[in-house]
Amino acid sequence: MLLFRTLLIMALWLATALASSYPLTLTDEQGYTLTLTGEPQRVVSMLPSHTETVCALNGCLTLVGIDDFSAGIPNTSGLPTLGGGLFGFSLEAIVALEPDLVLVSEFGELAGALRQAGLTVYAGSPQRFEDAFTFFEIIGQLVNRQEEAAQLATSVRAEIAAVVAAVAGRTPPTVYYELDATPFSVGPGSFIGVLIAKAGGQNIVPAELGDFPMLDPEFVISADPEIIVLASAPYGESVATVAARPGWATLTAVVEGAIIELTSAQVDLINRPGPNLGAAVRLLASFFHPDAF
Amino acid sequence: MLSDPAALTTAAAPRRLPLGLPLLGLAILLAVIGLAASIGAVPISLREVVGGVWRGLTGELSGPLDTIIWQMRLPRVLLAALVGGSLALAGVAYQGLFRNPLADPYLLGVASGAGFGASLVLAFSATVPLLAQLGVPLVAFICALAAALLVTVLARQGGGLPLVALILAGVVVGSILTAATSLTMLAAREQAAGVLAWLLGSFAFAGWAKLASALPFVLVAAVVIWLSHRALNLLALGEEQAAQLGLPVEAFKLLLIGAATLATAAAVSVSGVIGFVGLMVPHAVRLWVGADHYRLIPLACLAGAVFMVLADLLARTVIAPSELPVGVITALVGGPFFLAVLRRSSLHRREG
Repeated sequence: MLLFRTLLIMALWLATALASSYPLTLTDEQGYTLTLTGEPQRVVSMLPSHTETVCALNGCLTLVGIDDFSAGIPNTSGLPTLGGGLFGFSLEAIVALEPDLVLVSEFGELAGALRQAGLTVYAGSPQRFEDAFTFFEIIGQLVNRQEEAAQLATSVRAEIAAVVAAVAGRTPPTVYYELDATPFSVGPGSFIGVLIAKAGGQNIVPAELGDFPMLDPEFVISADPEIIVLASAPYGESVATVAARPGWATLTAVVEGAIIELTSAQVDLINRPGPNLGAAVRLLASFFHPDAF
Repeated sequence: MLSDPAALTTAAAPRRLPLGLPLLGLAILLAVIGLAASIGAVPISLREVVGGVWRGLTGELSGPLDTIIWQMRLPRVLLAALVGGSLALAGVAYQGLFRNPLADPYLLGVASGAGFGASLVLAFSATVPLLAQLGVPLVAFICALAAALLVTVLARQGGGLPLVALILAGVVVGSILTAATSLTMLAAREQAAGVLAWLLGSFAFAGWAKLASALPFVLVAAVVIWLSHRALNLLALGEEQAAQLGLPVEAFKLLLIGAATLATAAAVSVSGVIGFVGLMVPHAVRLWVGADHYRLIPLACLAGAVFMVLADLLARTVIAPSELPVGVITALVGGPFFLAVLRRSSLHRREG
């Protein structure tokens, strides 16, 4: 604990000490180097978790445009939505906004096209649990809010630590997390898999199946999970459809009614490795250990 | 290959079905079904399988193993057999009718129609409750039939159905529906993986209900196609010849297209779009037993069933307890196998 606090203080000190020296040069996840000559004033974010992070760092006012999936994030109403971050984006609309920084995913063709158009682009996105904290730092650096970034990381870690402490010592229920009805699920190494573990759940999917395995339904039956979480619920799956699947009616979770139908807002919360990570872990923990909260 | 005159002369006189080969095929199918029922994500011995099936038949299921055997694995294996058999049947019918080696059950837009229907349900059942109520199989089935009907209507010229027009209309309608499916996947990106997995075919979540929903259509189609064996042999001579020999060609075409479409749509609606089987199995069996539809139809049906059960077995065991889409297996494993068969047979022909 002492070590943790020492590291924290060092990190905070480093953050303040290293604030804003321009020109700032960074390398993004596609290996491209970008140079910022000053603190960006017109930022476009084409990824929801980036939008959330920029706003959580008090940078919401620097945003001039967001992607379609960022719509609905607090304090972004009125911003033009520019299409999806991977598909269906409007290149011309982004260029017309004359942004001095565009935050995009490293996947898809948007980053390359924007660079071609002469814009300053950072291409990258958090994929794993720890990446979320790395990206607080990266975005903090990009929008010149290192101190806020360090504080955000500290508070999110504290939120998660509080949940972990609350569920500590309790027997973890076995959990089947369903992404869709194929059925695709999540492995323990995936971002959501880590959230499940932190929230005091025992994922039925073993690590060797990879991060997003397509499961044999027989495997779910033999694992007989105590809790079923349906991220597939916004797409039509429900307690009733699960119970109606051949052989599923006798599952413990079905018999005991331990099936959670996530709303699409809850699915968004769990899917975004950003500032709401703590809330996501807390939400899952409230399903796994309702009496602890 | 398709116009074997010997087949015709023998087809002219009534005769009994030579039982040897079909019985052998049936025995192989039963053995393969037993094998496939005892292998899976959860290891179950053949004895337990037999016991589980018995307890299922007598309605005394006990424990999760019985649930897996009776409610999941056995219906899954049987559904794979049914789908494989009906795709092969439809393939034989289309290849015989179109006298085109590239004809397959998806020639008239059935697959793209079903795929479009399924993608609609998978992507939009959250916003359109009606889609969720109808479910993937029913919507896929309706869209598949609608696509084939549209193709037939588009291809109609005067009183007849020119085969070239059918093929062209099939390609056009197929392309349009495939584009619409892609659009749906882009619109609901989170569901794209699910739609893709469906498009590649899967027997996960097979149950007795799915089996029962597909079986009547397949049975009717199978009877119609089987009764068409003589007409198909006549058609091998060409439409004009067949008409001169007394075949009501246009009516027969409609009947056969209807039957093959029904079998394909029923199969696709419960399993997704599984490629290759309907194209290659009839060819492979034809190389083996000849072009006479009298033998070809039942044997291709059995071979399709055996092939599909084995393909699904691989799909769910290669990376168990994860699954691969079965359509990937049918193409990856079936392709080289078919090339080998083709090569051997052409070598034989050159030597003989």
